Amino acid sequence: MRRLFIVLGFISAVLALIIAVTPLSQIAYVPAVAALIFALIAFYMAKQKQYPKKSIQLIFLLTFIALVLTTYKSVFNVAEVGNLDELELKEEASIEDSKELLEELDLEIDESELEIETEDLEGLQEE
Amino acid sequence: MKQLFGIALLLFSSMQFAQNTTIAVGEKLTFTASYNMSGLMTDIAQVTMETGQVKTSKATLLHLKCTAATFTKWDNFFKIRDLYESYVSPTSLAPYLYKRDINEGSYYKFMQYTFSHKTNSVKSLMRKKNGKGVIYDVNSNVQINVGTKDIVSTIYHIRNLDIHKAMPGDVQNFKVIFDNKELIIGVKYVGKETIQTAIGKRECYKLALSLKNNAVLKGSSNDNLLYLTADANKVPVYAKFKIPVGNGELKIKSATGLKN
Repeated sequence: MRRLFIVLGFISAVLALIIAVTPLSQIAYVPAVAALIFALIAFYMAKQKQYPKKSIQLIFLLTFIALVLTTYKSVFNVAEVGNLDELELKEEASIEDSKELLEELDLEIDESELEIETEDLEGLQEE
Repeated sequence: MKQLFGIALLLFSSMQFAQNTTIAVGEKLTFTASYNMSGLMTDIAQVTMETGQVKTSKATLLHLKCTAATFTKWDNFFKIRDLYESYVSPTSLAPYLYKRDINEGSYYKFMQYTFSHKTNSVKSLMRKKNGKGVIYDVNSNVQINVGTKDIVSTIYHIRNLDIHKAMPGDVQNFKVIFDNKELIIGVKYVGKETIQTAIGKRECYKLALSLKNNAVLKGSSNDNLLYLTADANKVPVYAKFKIPVGNGELKIKSATGLKN
């Protein structure tokens, strides 16, 4: 039984450590907590029957590293948008292309509406 | 008789030139998109909604632009660079040109609609990448109903509604063309609710969204919600959605250049 908890603890701790180094680090808390529970149960059993506790200590160490890494990432890593140059170039090209397309279109806007629009937009620009 | 004619003319003109009282040129809204991963909401992308103006020799149009870009840490896993644009009438918000440029991982898709409101049709251009990486075009003509809009102009149109006149439980349907198919989006006014946002504590109009003829939006009416500030700007400050592959939310980060 103790061995089962040690194996489960190891699997959970290694999984927590792997997830902690990926962008999914936030969910590393789930296997880390599971690893801690398994390790505590195994530790309690080992203490009762005076078994060696080296492997259990290793589970605690791995879990601790995973938790520190996850906490550090969630506190200090600011969510930033990557390189947007490509997208900005695409936006500029799209506007130029759209102007040509709109010139070709029959916009079906009444003269009266055009006047309202222009006045409206001019008013907005002044604001 | 003269009075009757006058009232009829007034009604007709108000229908023709439904005024845009909400959307300003130069408005910029920034959102953080989060996705639920194993019960934890994880920030994955930044979404922006911007307005500008484009002048042609015939008219000056309102340019509505939405972009989505994943945060740096996700770029190596699944890079998203999406661009949605709509060129609309500044007064009625009727769309004339719509573009959708999707770059998600290795997936690429471009859609372009040119609206003809006279003939109630849309000239569609779809550009996709095949398995070998070769880009190909598909042109088609789609018949639409009166008042059908693209997804971008529909979002802005919802903001421009007179929600203050609505009663809780009121539903309005909007026809939207998406992927060459006409969808019906149902917007139900649930009521007012005060929520804490990045731009302060705001009283909001709570709207429940549903898709009538499509299964993209899952869950009950409480799973797909949109919160618009209960003021003249009707800024979308929070949205939550449930789709077949999970659920997520959009939270406002900043709002600048508002009209009112």
